[in-house]
Amino acid sequence: MKTFAPLLHSYWYLFRGAGMTVLMAVAAVVPATLLGVLLALTQIFGSRASRSAVVGYIFIIRGIPLLVLLTFVYYLLPLTGMDLPPFWGVVLVLACYYAAFMSEAFRAGILSLPQAQWDAAKSLGMRRHLMLRIIIFPQALRLAAPPFVNLCINLIKATSLVSIVGLWELTMASREVVERTLAPFQIFVAAAGIYFCICYALALYGRYLERRVLVDH
Amino acid sequence: MLDMSGIVKRFGTHEVLRGVSLRVARGETVVVIGPSGSGKTTLLRCVNLLEDYQQGTVRVDGEPIGYTLDRNDQRQRMTEPEIAAAREKVGIVFQSYNLFPHMTVLQNIAVAPIRVRGIPRPKAEQRARDLLAMVGLSDKVDAYPARLSGGQQQRVAIARALAMDPKIMLFDEVTSALDPELVGEVLAAMRQLARDGMTMIVVTHEMSFARDVADRVVFMDGGVIVEEGAPEEMFTSPRSERVRQFLKRYNDRYRL
Repeated sequence: MKTFAPLLHSYWYLFRGAGMTVLMAVAAVVPATLLGVLLALTQIFGSRASRSAVVGYIFIIRGIPLLVLLTFVYYLLPLTGMDLPPFWGVVLVLACYYAAFMSEAFRAGILSLPQAQWDAAKSLGMRRHLMLRIIIFPQALRLAAPPFVNLCINLIKATSLVSIVGLWELTMASREVVERTLAPFQIFVAAAGIYFCICYALALYGRYLERRVLVDH
Repeated sequence: MLDMSGIVKRFGTHEVLRGVSLRVARGETVVVIGPSGSGKTTLLRCVNLLEDYQQGTVRVDGEPIGYTLDRNDQRQRMTEPEIAAAREKVGIVFQSYNLFPHMTVLQNIAVAPIRVRGIPRPKAEQRARDLLAMVGLSDKVDAYPARLSGGQQQRVAIARALAMDPKIMLFDEVTSALDPELVGEVLAAMRQLARDGMTMIVVTHEMSFARDVADRVVFMDGGVIVEEGAPEEMFTSPRSERVRQFLKRYNDRYRL
């Protein structure tokens, strides 16, 4: 206890960093999900050209480490003359990056529904958008939920990389505290604990959703 | 009522349907029999364009479904909304039931009338209850499909198709996936429908059903209609050797 007690004040600083981490993750998850759905739909229903474009995009994103992408955009963005605050620049990169993976999760969910469900919906005179909304998505979402939650957890952990481009969040806050206190063990154990709690809570919530809301009847 | 003419369907170079024409009169029950792979199911799926076909046209009450002919007799594919609208006229029941697993029995039946035809919810749900009573499942209104037996699911599927007030009902081997004990309840529902004057095409291996209920039996093999006629004639004195052979093999198998 002795080793941790003098640092209590610093922990408060870490929690503020954690708040920033969560804020950044939420800000990125929302557009990533929307873009992911859009990419998945394009890949399934789009024209040949748009399908190839999406496939190309996913391949490129999959082949580049996030850290490289973040650094690249950090240096590139000012050159384009876009006056984007660093926070939103990072959110943009995270969203575009994770959208590629999410689209694969959604696509798998949609495609793993049996053709018979489409047939049944079509035979009742449903048009495509209605069919997707009330027959396909509710079922596909249930199938895509586990990999989706997994990607959200990955995204939260990936926010730790943004300290490299100077954004302040939990990891950056930890490093600052360590520089002041010279107590890396106590501080990084705490930081790891906070990351774990956030991710674990999300995983539990995902489980809850799967069981209660998206239950297989 | 239904007029299919010259339907040709290819999977690659393999011709599954080789120019099939079939007319069904209002209130008539046509039973299609034949060996597996003869194109029976494919023919049924062509009626409402679940399966695309390369030649021929389908009309219900004179209205084309899927393809129209232009002035030069060239086939023009209808637009997706037109096709969707045309499909409302045709009810189909599948071998594997294909109920929506995330909806209750009542929702399964009422969803299309409400969302596609715009019928007010209370009215659509009342009609769904009436249909459920007709197929003997009034106590399953709020159950989810997974809680039902195959026979019950199939009767719900029949009610779901009927809820759209189709002009014609198609049955695609609807008892093939069922335990023998459950076949009877589904066939009973279909018998009732036929008696009530529904126009029906039934693809089946249930020969006794064909014999009892059909107004006309159609035998398909190799993508063509080999023979058609009244059930008595077809089952006792078929004209073609192929039909005789098929029925003999069938009888041998089921004589036990």
